[in-house]
Amino acid sequence: MTAPDPNPHASTVHQQGSLESRFRKLVEAAPDAILEVNEQGRIMFLNEAAERMFGYSRGEMLGLDVENLVPAAMRGGHAKHRASYASRPNTRPMGTGLELQGQRKDGSLFPVEISLSPNWIEGSLHVIASVRDITERRVVEARIRALREQYTAELTAKNEQLEARSREAEQANRLKTEFLASMSHELRTPLHTIIGFSELLTEQLEGPLNEKQHRFVGHISQDARHLLELINQILDISKIESGHLELRREAFDFDHCVGEVLAGIRNHAATKNITLENQNSFHDALFADRLRMKEILYNLLSNAVKFTPEGGRVWLESGREGNSLRVSVCDTGIGIPQQEHPSIFEKFYQVGDSSAGVREGTGLGLPITKHLIELHGGTISVESWPGKGSRFTLTLPLAPSRDERS
Amino acid sequence: MKRILIADDKATSRELLRTVLERQGYMVTEAADGGEALEKAQAETPDLILLDLQMPVRTGYEVLGELRQDPRYASLPVIALTASAMPGDRERALAAGFTAYIAKPVALAQLRAEVQRLLHTEVSPPIDGTH
Repeated sequence: MTAPDPNPHASTVHQQGSLESRFRKLVEAAPDAILEVNEQGRIMFLNEAAERMFGYSRGEMLGLDVENLVPAAMRGGHAKHRASYASRPNTRPMGTGLELQGQRKDGSLFPVEISLSPNWIEGSLHVIASVRDITERRVVEARIRALREQYTAELTAKNEQLEARSREAEQANRLKTEFLASMSHELRTPLHTIIGFSELLTEQLEGPLNEKQHRFVGHISQDARHLLELINQILDISKIESGHLELRREAFDFDHCVGEVLAGIRNHAATKNITLENQNSFHDALFADRLRMKEILYNLLSNAVKFTPEGGRVWLESGREGNSLRVSVCDTGIGIPQQEHPSIFEKFYQVGDSSAGVREGTGLGLPITKHLIELHGGTISVESWPGKGSRFTLTLPLAPSRDERS
Repeated sequence: MKRILIADDKATSRELLRTVLERQGYMVTEAADGGEALEKAQAETPDLILLDLQMPVRTGYEVLGELRQDPRYASLPVIALTASAMPGDRERALAAGFTAYIAKPVALAQLRAEVQRLLHTEVSPPIDGTH
């Protein structure tokens, strides 16, 4: 049981005193300047932050006209602002959207953010202002703005550079294509007479040739054709790689196409006693570029014959597989080492060292073949081991069947 | 005997074509540029013209254009010869009025076959009837 308080009034005053002290401590500890201004515009109350911020001592600030804290240039309108606040006093930020500034005792200006609250003291309206020095913030904002402008400028410059370089690349590509086209024309023109006259000599209509002469003319003819093949292939692969090659698709008899290509290889295979077998089981029409298909098959078959020794076998298997045509060109030839499988489709790559008197090719046949197959939407792969022969398999998507179409 | 006019600015090419065609039993005249080609075509009324597309003075296309305007040569067989072989070349030549298109280097067999085909299945004979 507690004893009754002998001096109740004293303890209330003491309580009030310690409460006031607590609030005062809070206010003094605030980082922002806190001022209370009376109806006449005089500063009635301030905290330590206000002293530091504006550079006045407490004694100097108490009773000071608040206009002193406003930049000299703005003082004229300040009285009007105070009047308008008085007509509608509430807690709100001051001067939203405006860049406010405070003026220190030494006359220097600094950017501020101000928040106002009404406080009625004995019927008179006092205004509490909380002032924040945002110098630091403005500096950071300015730096961010500057960085952003710098980055944007750099980005724009880089973009322009990239665009210029891309235009240059396009131009270079165009020039290259034009150059190759005119080069190929220039190179073909003398070949026309070299090949033509070689053929005429071979035909011996202008007089007989002895054995050596006949053989020599054969060499000229053969190498001239080799050169022609190289020129055509270089032009082809350049067209393909710069996206200028267009396929001319049509429906044609695949059987017939295979037959034609095999007939073209027959002599070459015969000279090496190699058997050629046609194991095609696709007897429908194929919708593709007929000439390019012949090129593809011819390249694979002639490679097969080229790399197969005397007495070997070369055969073509093909048939429908789902919605694709699958064609395999197989041989019992010298095979390709595993690590070379990816390289054989690269420009100018020739397999291993030319062994067993294998005729040198252009190194462009397979890359062109692969491009042509891929242009048709198909794929090509190889299975091969040294000494075990090779199997080149291509798959071509087929157009929707007649049933599906109708 | 059928008469063939060869127009090509390369002398060696003209010699090649002349040799092949004369061996086939044709009579051959030559022109070394487009202007000469037009003159000889109009003066000699050949049965077939082999026209190289890239020639000085007048190109093969220009020569053909002028010839085709003349009713005497509206259906004269004219073969385009070119080392160009760009995509669409053949179609463009045929669309311009050439009767056939041969790419250089020419396979002699193909040349002989085309000439044979055009000279021995012609629809209308030359109007001046000198043959």
